[in-house]
Amino acid sequence: MTTSLSVRRHDQRQRASAPRHHHHALIQQLEPYLLISPTMLVIVGLMVVPIVIVIGYSLMDNVVTNPNPKFVGLANYTAILSEPGFWGAAVNTLFFTVGSVVVHMVIGMVFAMMLNSKSMARVPRAIFRAIYILPWIFTASVVAVLWRLLLDPSGVINYILISLGMVHEAVPWLATPSTALLAVTVINIWSGYPFFMISLLAGLQGVPSDLYEAARVDGAGFFRQFANVTLPALKPILYSMALLDLLWTTQQFTLIWATTGGGPLGMTEMLSTFTYKLAFNAYQFSMAATSAVLVLGASLIVAVFYVRNQRREA
Amino acid sequence: MDQFHQQNPNITVKLISAPFQSLQQQTISQAATGTLPDVVGLDGAWVNPLYKQGALLNLSDAMKSANYDPKDLASQVGYSGSTYMIPVVNFVYPLFTNDAILAKAGISKPPTTWSEFEADAKKISQSGSAKGWVVPLSTANPNGVQNDILSWAWASGGSMLKNGQPNLTGNPDVTGAVNLVNDLIQAKAVLPGADGLQETAKVENFINGRVGMMIDSLAHITTITKGNPNLKFSVSAQPVKDGYTGKPGILTASWGIGISAKSKHAADAWKLVQFLMSQSVNSKLSTLANGFPGNSTSTPDFTGSDPHFKQAFAIYQKSTPVNEFVGLPAADQLMTDFLNEFQKVAAGQESTSTMLANVQAAWKQQF
Amino acid sequence: MTTLSARAVGSTRTAGSRRAARRRMTARVGLYAGLTVGAIFAGFPVLWMLSSSFKSNAHIFAYPPKLLDSSFSFAPYVAVFSDPVEIGYFVNSYVVALSVTAVTLVVALLTAYVFSRFEFPLKRIINVVIIGVQAVPPITLLIPYFGIMVTLGLYNTYLGLILTYVVFTLPYAVIMMTAYFDSLPREVDEAAKVDGASSQAILWRILVPISIPGMVSVGLYTFMISWNEYLFALTLTQTDNRRTVPVGIQLLMGQNNYLWNQVMAMSILGSIPVLVLFLIFQRYFIGGLAAGAVKS
Repeated sequence: MTTSLSVRRHDQRQRASAPRHHHHALIQQLEPYLLISPTMLVIVGLMVVPIVIVIGYSLMDNVVTNPNPKFVGLANYTAILSEPGFWGAAVNTLFFTVGSVVVHMVIGMVFAMMLNSKSMARVPRAIFRAIYILPWIFTASVVAVLWRLLLDPSGVINYILISLGMVHEAVPWLATPSTALLAVTVINIWSGYPFFMISLLAGLQGVPSDLYEAARVDGAGFFRQFANVTLPALKPILYSMALLDLLWTTQQFTLIWATTGGGPLGMTEMLSTFTYKLAFNAYQFSMAATSAVLVLGASLIVAVFYVRNQRREA
Repeated sequence: MDQFHQQNPNITVKLISAPFQSLQQQTISQAATGTLPDVVGLDGAWVNPLYKQGALLNLSDAMKSANYDPKDLASQVGYSGSTYMIPVVNFVYPLFTNDAILAKAGISKPPTTWSEFEADAKKISQSGSAKGWVVPLSTANPNGVQNDILSWAWASGGSMLKNGQPNLTGNPDVTGAVNLVNDLIQAKAVLPGADGLQETAKVENFINGRVGMMIDSLAHITTITKGNPNLKFSVSAQPVKDGYTGKPGILTASWGIGISAKSKHAADAWKLVQFLMSQSVNSKLSTLANGFPGNSTSTPDFTGSDPHFKQAFAIYQKSTPVNEFVGLPAADQLMTDFLNEFQKVAAGQESTSTMLANVQAAWKQQF
Repeated sequence: MTTLSARAVGSTRTAGSRRAARRRMTARVGLYAGLTVGAIFAGFPVLWMLSSSFKSNAHIFAYPPKLLDSSFSFAPYVAVFSDPVEIGYFVNSYVVALSVTAVTLVVALLTAYVFSRFEFPLKRIINVVIIGVQAVPPITLLIPYFGIMVTLGLYNTYLGLILTYVVFTLPYAVIMMTAYFDSLPREVDEAAKVDGASSQAILWRILVPISIPGMVSVGLYTFMISWNEYLFALTLTQTDNRRTVPVGIQLLMGQNNYLWNQVMAMSILGSIPVLVLFLIFQRYFIGGLAAGAVKS
């Protein structure tokens, strides 16, 4: 009632004042543009412009190392799309990204629900929350160095596994073709789940407790409560976090570069490391730009879903 | 540096360092935007792209205008008759052996031939917890190709090039080197996880007594003695192919110097280069770095230096310094191509001859 | 009959409550067991980092590995603290991260306010652009970006780094703040509008004070991204008086050997500010995310 009333009054007022203050209305119309201009200025100047330059590079025969590049149209695109290395990297990136996102979601959910449990006192809750957040606060190159230490053949993880009799001899996890991709994915899972967890924890705290009461009165057990109350309430966050994580994980470079460099046998070559090598190992900056534009295109598809979701929610 | 400032009070030199892992990427980016420092330290692997970018000053011209006679320079790196980089300090890569580990395996002196080396590496691996050798083959840093695979061919007078073109297929020296390394990997005589190891792993594992032998830069003597003051070790020449009697080669990495083409103080920059290359300064500089001087008239100053340093100099004088990757186009890419194929051989997916044919084809595209 | 049934009811209830108590007990034990397993997964690597930061370099790879060994000392920390250059990295990191946080917050507030409270023709497209730029892999922009910074004269300056991180953090900050504003009832600002408040007054006097939790979340996120970023920090700086902590850590990893213990010590020291901020603000942080995340 009050809402509709105030809106109507507001409308009347505006209608009454509009003819008298014409320039005022103009300012009002321009105001949103004025307010977002700082954002647009930095984003256009420092994001859109470099993107356009990169797209330009991808249409040249070679840049940076070549003083007089020539326009070659889409030749770089056909070249890179027919290269098996590119597709191998794409498949690895897909595994790495989807694996990371799914497990982030599961671990984030389990940890968030444990931390949100009613049967825990305040102090242990705060302690566990602080421990669970730890992996998040380290920069990627440090995470990489740390895990190289842990996963070394004579490192502590192999030592524990041998002591428990789970492996017979030390496994160089990051250097064995069959385990390397899994190993880097685990490292990424470790370093990336806390953000998921915190967002879900925030979401859980926003779920009204009377919903659970109602479900319990209906005789719903833990799993039914989870499926009928928790999951639907968290769906919007899960969806948007998953899409954001998808974008961020696809871009992961430092972690891969500092642990395996894409090897062994190219088993952990991602699109990001593939692109980097094109640029800084082979000095083919145009090809690198082409690969980057393709990644950008794929990422934009994900971004479109994200925007759609944001709009539907709004 | 203080000495240089005293002699040239009008020139101020600011030292700029960067993390090694990213040095190359930074140098190339800086060259692309014209923000390269006036005088740049260079690795042989980057000279080619920087030259193509037009980022390096033609040093032959600089020498001419400064009336400098380059007769004392031990070597110069350049293209079409002009110099673009001058090696200031040369680092050799001898064989390091851990005396205690070798003794435990019943080996009385460091190996001198490939077959001795192979046998010794296997003996060490069977006699205790240490492995015979360490070979870092991570693609994050493909240097293992030059330091630990092709160095075997070079030491025995072999070459991977013929008339400036790749010559790998059917090359007996390169084939032998690849087979030697692969045999040792298959025999589990090297530190496990070679595909994930980087160059730093060599010294770390050597210091900790986990490997008996390594081919490594002489520059690391300080690191070794600091890391484990009680370690007894020897340096010797890299073993050669059985029956090879010619002059041995020794892998040499150079720390070189160039001048930015966009430098506004090219003449002053040249003065600094000249200063660094002068007989006494170059001698001091190289001794400090445990390397050998780029000025052929300078001799290292052995007073107070590590005894291994003197031994290594004796080896250096008897050998020809080699590193065929210096100045090649996209040297890192060449090594990465080689490494990718070599990993297949080590995984048993490919024969040595197929591997060399594939690498040859990949290299042809770069030349 | 009546007494009998009553007794029957009574006995089932006590049995039931005993069973319920037992179930609660099992659930609790299960919860703590689960929490402990999770804590090992999350915390053990960090514990190992801490332990390594007190070892000597030669002992870091000793086998069998030990959490504490004979080489325990504070030397790696002393080495970091006694080097003015390394202290300088911390100062630079603070200058950059705090400035970025302030700038991003102000700019994101303005933009989020517009997205949440205004309707205008280009809104949808601009929204897509802002979200879309998050899809750009930063590494691919390195070379042109570097060129732009040099042209603008921002190479090797605080301002260059600050602007860069503002660009990186702004999209997510705008998204989060918009969601937060959307969760606030419109009645609040409508009423103020009726009373003749300008739109700026509504934003700064009415919306901002009740948005502190949202701003804390955005601020913490922004601070952390700028504190931890490495690639651009490396590329856009040249001298030690502008370099940040992650670059400093990388400088300890040389060509020939890593100063593992100092790397670990500096990483621990570098992560303390973020951890402290999180511990202070965690209630707000989670609250801020909650309001933005769940819309009923």
